[in-house]
Amino acid sequence: MQYKDYYKIMGLSRDTSQDEIKRAYRKLARKYHPDVSKEKDAEAKFKELGEAYEVLKDPEKRAAYDQLGANWKAGQDFRPPPNWNEGFEFKGGGFTSDEAGAYSDFFEQLFGRAGFRPGDRGQYGFHARGQDSHAKIYIDLEDSFRGATRNISLSTPEMNAQGQVQVKHRSLNIKIPKGIKAGQHIRLAGQGSPGSGSGQSGDLFLEIAFNNHPLYRVSETDVYLDLPVTPWEAALGAKIKVPTPEGSVDLKIPSNSRQGSKLRLTGRGIPAPAPGDFYVVLQIALPQANTEQAKAVYQKMHEELDFNPRQALGVYYQ
Amino acid sequence: MNSHDLLLVHTGTVIEEDSLTLGQLCRACGAHADWIISLVEESIIEPQGKEMRLWRFSGASLVRARSALRLQRDLGVNLAGIALALDLMEELKSLRTQMKTLGHV
Repeated sequence: MQYKDYYKIMGLSRDTSQDEIKRAYRKLARKYHPDVSKEKDAEAKFKELGEAYEVLKDPEKRAAYDQLGANWKAGQDFRPPPNWNEGFEFKGGGFTSDEAGAYSDFFEQLFGRAGFRPGDRGQYGFHARGQDSHAKIYIDLEDSFRGATRNISLSTPEMNAQGQVQVKHRSLNIKIPKGIKAGQHIRLAGQGSPGSGSGQSGDLFLEIAFNNHPLYRVSETDVYLDLPVTPWEAALGAKIKVPTPEGSVDLKIPSNSRQGSKLRLTGRGIPAPAPGDFYVVLQIALPQANTEQAKAVYQKMHEELDFNPRQALGVYYQ
Repeated sequence: MNSHDLLLVHTGTVIEEDSLTLGQLCRACGAHADWIISLVEESIIEPQGKEMRLWRFSGASLVRARSALRLQRDLGVNLAGIALALDLMEELKSLRTQMKTLGHV
């Protein structure tokens, strides 16, 4: 078991006042709240922070924790000394949080495990139906175009017969329906937490998100592709092959196309009930002037084309 | 897990724009109906249907309601604050997507 430095987690020194601890928690909680934060490991940080605050906000738990001494380093192998918490009384058990199973082994070793706590659900209905569970799953854009079966693994905290919380891992094969878009949910009846007694299991809600795609961007049901074209294809028009999630198509580039022009392929976006569109965004790529021949062509353009892209800026050369 | 389980494929139902009833949304969030109603009153989530018994919620409402629940529980934000935070977060999200589209990230 690894020692956890709760002061360090909260960025505080050991002589910080209770008021300061509260203020520091508020500030960090806003920073790392998984709904608000854009930090990658926000969820893990927020959990760690919650655990640190759980100990430090309670003068009694804090005193007990302080008694372990200041010489431990975070991550160091740790065993609590015998009778370390003699004389302390942790009111209401170690846990005051709703989320049982959220704390580390280190915490549980010191302050005990959560006992069974009926959630809000118990007061809400008469049936002891299991709770609905939620998960976000990432699929490839192609899965939505073709429909797919994906294997997902879920870990859910569950109460065992002794009333202890254990994280249970399971995997499910899920049918991904064709035309699903990011932010939509799939509900799997009876795949949530098991009910108690003869109660039904809850439902499982899966929120769909797309993996980043190397080629395509998705906005609602529309799909975008940045398509590099040569200056002459854009200027003179061309027929070129373009990849789409459903295979390549021939696309006609109109003459005098400009950088950033959007060409729409109607109905070739995500095949939802109201299908989206596929947009090709032209990106004009310039050939490098790294050979005599290329330089000559650019020189010729310079001599023969009357072109000033800075006209609108009101500055002219010569 | 036996091999039978490995072969089993679950087919769920897709939640469309207007498919969750008030009761289903309450269950899915693990929240009381009163609390969900107060979210509607604050315009944090907007059901289709005029009367409460005809209310139908979208999957996006489910995401917002669950976010609201966490903001209230973890940060002690009140309903007006939640409404503001969720709107700003959504704006931020769409701005970030736009930035990505423009190739600035």
